[in-house]
Amino acid sequence: MSTERFAREAGKYAAIAWLGARRALSERAAVAGRALFLAVILFIFGRVWATVLGPGGRVGAAGRDELIFYLAVTEWCLLSVPPLYLSIEGDVRSGDVASQMVRPVSYVGAQLADALGETALRMCVLGPTAALVAWWIAGGWPADPRGLWLALPLGLLASTLAVLSTAAIGVSAFWIVDTSPIYWIWQKLAFVLGGLMLPLELYPDWLRAAARFSPFPAMLWGPGRMAFGFAPGAALETLAELVVWGTLAALLLVWLARRARTRIALAGG
Amino acid sequence: MSSAIALHNVRKTFRVPEREPGLRGSLRGLIRKRAREIVAVDDLSFAIAPGERVAFLGPNGAGKSTTLKILSGILQPSAGQVRVLGLEPGRERRRLAYRIGVVFGQRSQLWSHLPAADTFDLLARIYELEPAEYRQRRDELVASFAIADVVEKPVRQLSLGERMRCELVASLLHRPEILFLDEPTIGLDVVAKATIRDLLRERGRRDGCTILLTSHDTGDMAGVCERVLVIHHGRLLLDRSLDGLRKGFIARKRISVVTEEAELTLDLPGVRRLPSASHRSDFELDLGVVGVDRVVAAIVAGARVLDLSVEDPPMEEVVSAIYASALSAGPRP
Amino acid sequence: MAAPIRGTLHFLRGLALMNLRSSLALRGAFWLQAGFMVLNNLAFFATWWLLFERFPQIGGWRIGDLLTLFGVVATGFGGSMVLAGGWRELARGIRDGELDSCLVQPKPVLLHLVGSRTVASGWGDLATGLGMLLVSGALEPAKLPATGVAVLASASVFTANGILVQSLAFWIDGMDALARQISEFTLTFSLYPRPLFSGGISFLLYTVLPAGFVGFVPAELVRAPSLALGAAALGAALFWIGLALFVFQRGLARYASGNRIGVRV
Repeated sequence: MSTERFAREAGKYAAIAWLGARRALSERAAVAGRALFLAVILFIFGRVWATVLGPGGRVGAAGRDELIFYLAVTEWCLLSVPPLYLSIEGDVRSGDVASQMVRPVSYVGAQLADALGETALRMCVLGPTAALVAWWIAGGWPADPRGLWLALPLGLLASTLAVLSTAAIGVSAFWIVDTSPIYWIWQKLAFVLGGLMLPLELYPDWLRAAARFSPFPAMLWGPGRMAFGFAPGAALETLAELVVWGTLAALLLVWLARRARTRIALAGG
Repeated sequence: MSSAIALHNVRKTFRVPEREPGLRGSLRGLIRKRAREIVAVDDLSFAIAPGERVAFLGPNGAGKSTTLKILSGILQPSAGQVRVLGLEPGRERRRLAYRIGVVFGQRSQLWSHLPAADTFDLLARIYELEPAEYRQRRDELVASFAIADVVEKPVRQLSLGERMRCELVASLLHRPEILFLDEPTIGLDVVAKATIRDLLRERGRRDGCTILLTSHDTGDMAGVCERVLVIHHGRLLLDRSLDGLRKGFIARKRISVVTEEAELTLDLPGVRRLPSASHRSDFELDLGVVGVDRVVAAIVAGARVLDLSVEDPPMEEVVSAIYASALSAGPRP
Repeated sequence: MAAPIRGTLHFLRGLALMNLRSSLALRGAFWLQAGFMVLNNLAFFATWWLLFERFPQIGGWRIGDLLTLFGVVATGFGGSMVLAGGWRELARGIRDGELDSCLVQPKPVLLHLVGSRTVASGWGDLATGLGMLLVSGALEPAKLPATGVAVLASASVFTANGILVQSLAFWIDGMDALARQISEFTLTFSLYPRPLFSGGISFLLYTVLPAGFVGFVPAELVRAPSLALGAAALGAALFWIGLALFVFQRGLARYASGNRIGVRV
């Protein structure tokens, strides 16, 4: 593919992503709901950590403040991801997929671009919200706030990985009618193995070791633990993991999309 | 009680909040609530005797559904008197509910994942029917509405026509004295519509129940009812029997002729030629000017006739004419 | 007066039967929904379990206490979803005019609406809840009466609060999303140990979002049964039911006047 052609293709998807972001902006109620939920969860866990640790208590390198910011980062990553699997499933069920596949844009690519645009917007809204609410509840910034800057790019990559995963789940609707159960399982695995609320340091060794075989720690715990302090080494480790898992997810998605297209050509949708 | 349904000077207005566009409008709306008053029904009066089958006809927004909701107790009138089976629907809704049946064309009371038979059983409990009596009535209705083979299938697997027949059976299980139907044939194909109309007419005759049906499909009117109430802008335009409507309103006939000759010329006063194909001619007669016999005689004399039919103009035309005359009478005061 | 009550009970039994049949009619989906709800709840509890592994005591609570709390709330919630699942769609039904079919029938409108739907995943919540109650010892014969009252009270407050908030759709447009959020928050708060919250928030949790009466008070009733707690739990339940009925009836009167946004003539 020539550079010019590539630029044009990329331009199409960028435009779709931009539209996705603008659409999310107009659906204020949904984003506001997530922001409120984020604030509530941070508040509740602020209380949990305060009670569990007592004043000045620590878990390894993390005190109450750091743990609150940890949760802020993990929730920021997860809550920014829209339910892409639902819209793909809906298109497959209603048969809209067929009409969309006629256009000179890859259906899955378009859906992905749209979701990424929406995710980007949500991250812009939920990020500052999470930071401010965490700051208010913790009564200040974490001990070494430089880590939070590292959390930013990691969080963006982590959300991208999550979006790729939900896209793959959605595409499985071509074979399985109801993809919601798959999504729920994936989400719960992310909660537990990814250390959404409890950093992996708190896990029993066997569970922590098992979790490292899944993409979830890279997705949530990786960016989250940046709240514990400035650790460029750990950040690079997470970055590498995210790139590897992200590539795998992308390959899986491409493979599934191709199989789906064959299925439509044969079965007629 | 001589009338099954009686309305006197019933009026129904709605207050719909007006929202100004833009941010300033929204802010202003917070301080001062501006509302527009819509008159849905205006000074409506009529009476329906027990056993009558009446059609309530009118275009969208005429006030038909509102009137139906007032009669069944869903809405309270803003002014006027309403009596249904001697009860005031707004105040004695529950008591009235045992004696009426309502079918909403666009909404179903059947549970979609279950067979209609299960909903029938539930309705038996709702209307507190005696088990033996209920079973007998149910079997009779299932046979007469020909749903025996679909009544055990989940409702969502049924066609629209089958679903509507089940819906009607459901509404008749408790032997209502009045059956209200709101757009019962909407979305149905021609055959299904005809079936439903026949069944309703038969039922009305057999059970002696009063039927009040709203529609903007004139076929419903012609197929089921003997009397027509035409409503427009919330007012009663016309209250006449079906025959009276046809005869009194348009004195016209249509004649269609198929001839061996490619063309047929007819030059008679009161006869208008309608666009047609070769070998076929359609004429419209004004019965005030010329009689059917003269026109037919002239046609037969002037060509070799292969086929000839004399018909009333379609109902749509009759009704359009009614609306047109109402409009020409000028805007409402 | 006995006859109408008997008639209504007969009707409610009919509704329950229809709901059961409806769930069974979608057998595959039923097991999927219920099964995944069990997994969902277990995953949620897993986080707490991990926390309790590290810190055996949180605000005076042990894992057994949390198990009781979860058990009570999940059982109540599950029962509500199974028997009265229609409450979640109330706001939407009001907006879309689904009340009309119920209004022309001779049975209480609210009961009809609420009882006309069942949520299959509720069986999963019931299973998880009962399992947890079993493990925490709340289903022992000695504790059974208290547990029964607790579950009933919890379910009642939660459902009634849900009905109340959904009924606001009679006055406010676009209520269905907001109502669902409020119920979600109430449930979230009810699943956390009471000692975590104090002061102003605590007050809020006994009034606006009655999480205290959905979770804490019923759970306490099982942990340390007393007549006072039982009275408090039942009293709260009756209060919320009464309030919900009142708001709904007022809303219905408003509906009958037809003055709504987007009313169709």
